[in-house]
Amino acid sequence: MTTPVMSPVDARQHDTFTTLMWALSYPGHATYLLATGADAFALIGETLVDLETGFFTPDALLTARLARTGGRSLPAESAPYQFYPRLGISELDLLAAAPVGSHAAPDLGATIVIGCTFGRGTCLRLRGPGIPGIREVLVGDLPDGLWDLRATKVHAPLGWDIFLVAGDAVLGLPRTTAVEVR
Amino acid sequence: MILADLAHPRQDYSYGFLDAFARRELRRRILKAIAIPGYQVPYASRELPIARGWGTGGLQATLSVAGPQDVVKVIDQGADDSVNAANLRRFIARMTGVATTTDTTMATIIQSRHRIPEERLTEGQLLVLQVPDPEPLRAVQPDSSQAREMHADADYAQMWLSLYEQLVRFGRFMQGASYPVIVNRRYLMSPSPIPRWDTPALHQSAHLTILSAGREKRIYAVPPYTDVRPIEFSDVFFQVEDQTGRVCTLTGAGQKYMDELPQPGGESHFRISDTGYVEKLLKTAHGEPSDIGPTYYDDTGRFFLPGVIKVGA
Repeated sequence: MTTPVMSPVDARQHDTFTTLMWALSYPGHATYLLATGADAFALIGETLVDLETGFFTPDALLTARLARTGGRSLPAESAPYQFYPRLGISELDLLAAAPVGSHAAPDLGATIVIGCTFGRGTCLRLRGPGIPGIREVLVGDLPDGLWDLRATKVHAPLGWDIFLVAGDAVLGLPRTTAVEVR
Repeated sequence: MILADLAHPRQDYSYGFLDAFARRELRRRILKAIAIPGYQVPYASRELPIARGWGTGGLQATLSVAGPQDVVKVIDQGADDSVNAANLRRFIARMTGVATTTDTTMATIIQSRHRIPEERLTEGQLLVLQVPDPEPLRAVQPDSSQAREMHADADYAQMWLSLYEQLVRFGRFMQGASYPVIVNRRYLMSPSPIPRWDTPALHQSAHLTILSAGREKRIYAVPPYTDVRPIEFSDVFFQVEDQTGRVCTLTGAGQKYMDELPQPGGESHFRISDTGYVEKLLKTAHGEPSDIGPTYYDDTGRFFLPGVIKVGA
């Protein structure tokens, strides 16, 4: 018997998963994907979504790419995986509807992937599991209302788990991370 | 172009044994487990070529995370060379092509049954603990639906009552391994049957811990730098097993977690349970180069993080 080898698809999904896993384990610490821009969103989609789950994105092109995973396109109120390559004020209402889970099943809270820029913009002060003390990050190209909305909706163990994507870089913000806008 | 150029080469098994759907499902659950520290996330728990109860939960977690660049260490009660550990290690290596090691500091993934190594794990390392029974409330609430409601309500009063009853009846906490902990000030969690000696190693640890119960189909996690506090009273504290006076017959070292070896005359000999650590101590004793990492407990038995193990009870 020979040791099985990773197919190219296996390899990129493995790399994407471990990138997301470490991003969520050390919130605010950037990890890197094998793709940038829209391809990064598609990569996260093919790693997490399949016919056992569903997704939502307001981006028509990305909808078509995510549909290839076999996942169902669902409304924002019920989609466990949501992708916002550009998050404007108009999309905040959609995001507000994303599921936060219940105390009986907090794992039903949505995973949200949002496009942004790092290194400029709003300074976020992060604390919580995965962060020894306090970590500060600069995040741009996001509507100001996002952090107020998150503060309203996310009360761990209920809430969303967010991946911020800028180019090929990813920051994880699990629901347990306290975000203070400075 | 011929058809063979377009097809993948034939393989007896999928990479990592699990099929793509199983792997993806596990990966989704692992991410949720990290996001909700201590919460037991249900998962499908597929069949594996070993029986349930022999580490299938930990094995599935390891197989879904490991890649060819990883270095894997597998231990069973601290031993790299026990039958369970050796078989799991061989299976993981065959299915993923990972390198294997007995050196804790070299490993990127450490799968363990019932121990945390003596050397401190660091950032970027993943500890996978095999879990026979993930439900810490089982002793006070045998109905798992009720237990899940109690977790939802953070209703752990019965655990405190049971702890109090132990004190009244026996004068001390009777729970040995699997000592229940509160994770991130929210969920009561079973740390798997690690001895109490290892429980403080989960508190504010630099590494990521994934705990997986294959038979019970539950996976949960302790992210790095997360509060993990054993349940205790404000005037009667959690204590680890006292290793004072025990000396390892192989290395002469003390103040590490020891296996007790009863002798025909009635006395006992002791050996350090972590065989990888013993290997390094023996190399050092023979003048060979050995890179021993810092340990959780120093030679006087003091835990490296002050205030985690309280004294004065």
